[in-house]
Amino acid sequence: MRRGSSGEGALWLCAGAAAACLAAIVALLVWLGAAGLAPFWPAPIVEIGLADGHTLLGEVAERRGSTLVIRGSERERIGGAYARIEADAIVSRDTPRDAFAVTLSDGRRIFGRGDPPAADALLRSIPGANASAPAEWPNAHGLFGRMGTFLRDAGRFLVASTMAPSLAGGAFPALVGTVVLVFLMSLIVMPFGVATAVYLHERRGFAASLVRSAIANLAGVPSIVYGVLGLGLFVHGIGADVDRWFFADRLPVPTFGSGGLLWAALTLALLTLPVVVVSVEEGLGRIPPGLLAGSLALGATRGETMWRLLLPAARPALLTGLILAIARAAGAVAPLMLVGVVRLAPALPVDGAFPFLHPSRQFMHLGFSVYDAALASPDALRGIPRAYACALLLVIVVVALNLAAIVLRNRLRERYRVLEG
Amino acid sequence: MPGNPVTYAPLLTEGQSPSVAVRRRRERAGNAFVVAGAAVVLVALLAIPLFLGASILAWLPLPEGAWSRLGILIAGSAKAATCALLLAVPLALAAAIFSAQFASQGFRSWLKPGLEILEAIPTVVLGLVAFATLSPWLKHNVATLLALIVAIPVLLLAAGFAFGGAFRRQVGWLPLWLAPVLLAVVVAMIAVLGPLQKDAIVPPSPWNAVLVGLALGLAAIPMMFSVAEDALMQMPSTHVQAALALGATRWQAIRSIVLPAARPGLIAAFALGASRCLGETMIVLMASGNTPIGDPNPLAGLRSISADLALGMPEAAPPGGAYRTLLLAALVLFVLTFVLNLLAERARAHVRRTHAAPALA
Repeated sequence: MRRGSSGEGALWLCAGAAAACLAAIVALLVWLGAAGLAPFWPAPIVEIGLADGHTLLGEVAERRGSTLVIRGSERERIGGAYARIEADAIVSRDTPRDAFAVTLSDGRRIFGRGDPPAADALLRSIPGANASAPAEWPNAHGLFGRMGTFLRDAGRFLVASTMAPSLAGGAFPALVGTVVLVFLMSLIVMPFGVATAVYLHERRGFAASLVRSAIANLAGVPSIVYGVLGLGLFVHGIGADVDRWFFADRLPVPTFGSGGLLWAALTLALLTLPVVVVSVEEGLGRIPPGLLAGSLALGATRGETMWRLLLPAARPALLTGLILAIARAAGAVAPLMLVGVVRLAPALPVDGAFPFLHPSRQFMHLGFSVYDAALASPDALRGIPRAYACALLLVIVVVALNLAAIVLRNRLRERYRVLEG
Repeated sequence: MPGNPVTYAPLLTEGQSPSVAVRRRRERAGNAFVVAGAAVVLVALLAIPLFLGASILAWLPLPEGAWSRLGILIAGSAKAATCALLLAVPLALAAAIFSAQFASQGFRSWLKPGLEILEAIPTVVLGLVAFATLSPWLKHNVATLLALIVAIPVLLLAAGFAFGGAFRRQVGWLPLWLAPVLLAVVVAMIAVLGPLQKDAIVPPSPWNAVLVGLALGLAAIPMMFSVAEDALMQMPSTHVQAALALGATRWQAIRSIVLPAARPGLIAAFALGASRCLGETMIVLMASGNTPIGDPNPLAGLRSISADLALGMPEAAPPGGAYRTLLLAALVLFVLTFVLNLLAERARAHVRRTHAAPALA
C-alpha cells in the first residue's frame, strides 16, 4: 500500500479545503447567531469604586484587554456617558441588587439605586426624559427573569419602530420595507421571467440563443451597475418625465424623480430576472415530453397545453425560482443605496391611507440598516450590536427562503423520477 | 351528471368550449406575451451599455482628472480581487476536486447545500463581520494569519503522509472529521501565537486589502466551487478507470488526465470568480477603508470602482462632472465583468460540446 502515499498528501489537502469551507460556514453561522442574540441578554448593572474615591454606576459596554468601558447615565445625549477605566484603578466592584435602569424613548439609559419611587424621582430630575418602559432591576432577577427580559427585548426589536440608534429602537420599518420591496419585485419579475423561460423552452434558433446568452451575461453583471442603471435611467430619466407630465404642480419637489420603492423594485426585478428564468426553464425541461405530445394529440393548442398542463406541472419550479429571486433580492443592498433606501424613513411604504401602497416613497431596508448601523452610528458601541441583530434577522429570512428552495427542488426531482420511472 | 370514477371530466365541455376564432386569438396573445418577455430580457441587457455609453458620449469631453482617478479605482478593484482570488481559487478548486473525485454520495449531498447557504448569505453581513470583528483582530495579528496560511497546508500534507493509509476506507467522509480538528488547530494557534507575535507586522490601515480578501474570498468560493465541480463531474469516469487500469495512482490519474481535460471548465470558474470579486460592492465598501490611493501594498487601504459608485452616485447630480466620471467608472466595470463572463460562457459551452456525449452504463 506504500505506492499510493505520494497522492495521500494531495488528497488530504483537497479534503482539508472542503473541511475548511464547511468549518467556515459553521463558524460564520454560529458567530452570527451569537453576536446577533447576545446584545439582548440583560447586562448586570455594576457599581465600580475607583482609587480616587469616585464611584461609577453603569453597565460594561466593552472590555479591551485590561481596559473597561463603562456606560453611565446618559443625562444629555445618547453615547455621551462612556468612561474608560484601567483595571488597576478599580478598588471595588459590586452588582447592587437595588440598582435600576430606565431606557428612555430616544435610546438613552439612566441608572440609579433605590425603589420605584426613587426611580420616578430620578426620572423627573432629567429634562425631556420620556421613559419608553418602566424601570427595571436586572441585578435582582434570576435566570428566568433575565430570560424573560431577553425574549421581551428581542421581540420588541422585531415590532418596534426605529426611534433610537440602538437595540431599543426596533427594526420593524426596515423589515416592512424589505418585505414590501421584494413583494413588489416578485410581481414585476415573475410574469416576464416565466414568459422568457417559456420562450427559451419552446424555441430554438438564433434569437433564442441570443436571449440565452443575454440571460447568462445579465446574471454576471455586478449589482451596483444595476443600481447605476436604476438611478440614471429610471430615477433621473423616466422619473423626471413622469414628474413633468403628472406631478407638475409639486415640481421643484420630486415625486417619482427621486429614488423610491417603485424604482428600487424595478431595479431588483432586473437583477433577479436570470434566477427566475433559469429555474423555470429547468423545471419545464424536466417534464416528460409524453405529456406535451399527448395533449397536442388530443387537440389542444400549444398555448393551451402550456397554460393548462406544463406550467401547472412546473409549479414547484416556478416556486423555486420565486423563492431564489426573493432571497437574492433581500440580500442585495448595493443597488438600493442608489435608488431610494434611506436610514430613517418618515413613513412606511404601506399604510391605511389610499392608495395603501406608496410606490414613490423612500423606504428602509434590513441590509442597509446593517451597513448604516455599523458604519454611520453616532454611538459605535451600540451601532455594532444593532448591526449584528439586523444581520441575524436578514440571514434568518434569506437562509430560510433558500432552504425552502432546496427542499422544493429535491421534492421536484423525486416527483419527476416517479413520472419517468 | 354523477361523476364516473374511471373517466376524468373533460377540460372543455360542449356548451362552454370557446370557438376556434377565440382559441386562435388566445394563442396569438399568448405567443405575443412570451416574445415580449424575451424581448424585455434582450432590451435589459442592451440597456446597460447603451445607456452608459450614450450618457457619456452626450456629455463629452470628460472632466479633467477623470482618467487618472479611474486608474486608481481600477487598481483598487484589482488589488481587492487579487487578494480574494488568492484565498478562493485554491480552496474552491481543491474542494471541487475532492467533491467530484473522492467524496461519498452522502457527503456531497451535505457539502453542496452547505455551500449554497454560504452563497445565499448577503454580502453586507460578510462585510459586517470583516468590519466589526475581523478588522480589530487582524490589526494586531497579521503575522498570525501568515503563520496559519503556511502551517495549515503543511500540517495537512504531513497528516496525509502519516495517517493516509489508516483513513483510506473513510476517505469519502474525511472532511467531516477534519473540519472540527481544523477549527481546533486554528483556535489553538490563534490563542498561542497571538500574544507571542503581537504587532510583529503593523498594517498601515486597519481596513486593507487582506481583510477585504478574507471576506470577499469567502463570498466567491461557493460559485467557483459549483462551476469547477460541474466541470469535473462531466469528465467521464472511464478516463480515470483506464488510467487506474494502466497502473496510475488515483492522484496521478486526476493530475494528468482529469484536470487537463476539465481545464476549460476550471478557467470558467476562475473567470466567473474574478468577475464576482471585481463587481462585489458591500464587502469592499465596508472593509477597504475607501481611501483613493494607488498603493500596491496589500496591507494598505484601497477604493474600488464599485465602492466609489455606491458612495459617490447618490450625491452626484446628473449633468455634473462627478456624475459623468462615475458613469464612466460604471461602464468600465460593466465591460470588465462582461468580458470575463463571456470568456466563462465560451469555456463552459466548450466543455458541454466536448464531453456531453458519452453516457456510460
